[in-house]
Amino acid sequence: MPMDRRANMVRLAPADNIAVALSDIAAGETALDRAQLMVTVRERIPQGHKIALQPIAADEPIIRFGMPVGLAKVAIAKGALVHIHNVRSQYLDNEVDHYE
Amino acid sequence: MSEALAHSVATIPRLDLSRMRGYARQDGRKGIRNYLAVAYLVECAHHVARRIAEPFQEQGAQLIGFPGCYPSDYAHRILEAMCIHPNVGAVLLVSLGCEEFRRSDLKDAIARSGRPVELMVIQDRGGTRSTIDEGRAFVAAELMRLKAAPTVPLSLGELVIGTKCGGSDGLSGITINPAVGHAFDLLVDEGATVMFEETPELIGCEQHMAERAVTPELGAELIAAVAKADAYHRELGHGSFGGGNIKHGLSTIEEKSVGAYAKSGSRPIVGLLKPGDRPLRPGLHLMDTVNDGPVKLGIPNINDTQTVTEMVASGCQLIVFTTGAGSVVGQAIAPIIKGVSNSRVFQRLSDDIDVNGGTIADGQETIREVGEHILRKIVALASGEQSRSEALGHQEFALAYKSYEPAGPACFPLG
Repeated sequence: MPMDRRANMVRLAPADNIAVALSDIAAGETALDRAQLMVTVRERIPQGHKIALQPIAADEPIIRFGMPVGLAKVAIAKGALVHIHNVRSQYLDNEVDHYE
Repeated sequence: MSEALAHSVATIPRLDLSRMRGYARQDGRKGIRNYLAVAYLVECAHHVARRIAEPFQEQGAQLIGFPGCYPSDYAHRILEAMCIHPNVGAVLLVSLGCEEFRRSDLKDAIARSGRPVELMVIQDRGGTRSTIDEGRAFVAAELMRLKAAPTVPLSLGELVIGTKCGGSDGLSGITINPAVGHAFDLLVDEGATVMFEETPELIGCEQHMAERAVTPELGAELIAAVAKADAYHRELGHGSFGGGNIKHGLSTIEEKSVGAYAKSGSRPIVGLLKPGDRPLRPGLHLMDTVNDGPVKLGIPNINDTQTVTEMVASGCQLIVFTTGAGSVVGQAIAPIIKGVSNSRVFQRLSDDIDVNGGTIADGQETIREVGEHILRKIVALASGEQSRSEALGHQEFALAYKSYEPAGPACFPLG
């Protein structure tokens, strides 16, 4: 079944604490997934980036598709962008490389 | 990770398998192309080889080669595998003369495979101009013969297909990669041989993979291969993850890995290959793309093309390559089908892309439907149509110094 047309985020598994933006979402907009889960985003979320679905404490794992994909570096608020500024890898340095 | 559906190739609309044709080779394999490979055996012979191939690159001449002067068992194995690849019908080797590549051994191996082969040594032939003239004459004559060669019917079960991602973004693991996984499930069900790779981008996925292995011993080898990749990159201080991934939404190597892993679909894993190893049975294989032994020469895989080259060396007739940021590469010897994860990049680079997986994110198509598109493209390529990168003349090739121990018996469970 195709994803709900109005959905602009996707949560990949029920236990996930993040969702992935399917298109750019402006600060203050409501992000919505196919199951009608709603989150007001606190800042701009570019397409393909992650939104916190609930508050995430420092050192808690980021769960995507039921699997840990990093640890929170600091406390993360619900609706915040989740990315390298507040996530660290459990394996290798994910500090920003040079890019234009 | 792909949708659990009762789905088979027989139920896919507008899929005509009867047009698939191949070139039958002496070793029993079939190619979907009948290329002439022009191979330089050291960087010093590169320009001459390039000039020989250039006028004929739209008529089936493909330029490959090894830049190194010093010996390398790995490079010899890979280059030989490319020269006797099912998509190759004839070979011209271009040597400078004083390099260390074992050119006679290579020429003999190609001749034994039943293919016409010529070796031209620049220092013996009197230099650049005469070698170019004589090389072009050989290529022109051979291409006429190759063009007229007969073909035989080809079935899905005779295909060997690899998959790879490059320039991944945050949607890759949600859209195009699961669609490839679905296509791979359908192919495996038809008896095809498929492979995925890049163990440094399966970090965190090894337990899940081991549970799909057909024997526990193979499962242990899969875990060990990923552990090797993890240890190698920790020592290097740099993972297979970079600014391009970050720009497009991926935050860690383990997140990238979860998305990349989706390309492998859901069928059991039947073998672990090292680059150049031919799969011994149909089904899904993992290729180990990290050097054996200590970190010696730096990053094991200098670019996407290198690991694609390694899968082609193991016999892949074509490659399904997924991207988020928009990689435009093709590949020498084996054409690439390019799938993109998002519609924004599809629109910007549509001339370079074969399949848009962004429709999944847009709510217009399902993973299953995009998987069917991929299968249709595979059948089209095996029926003589060109992919976008192929039609645009892409023939990327990369071969550098690496070293591998032979794969152990647990890597090839049989029966």
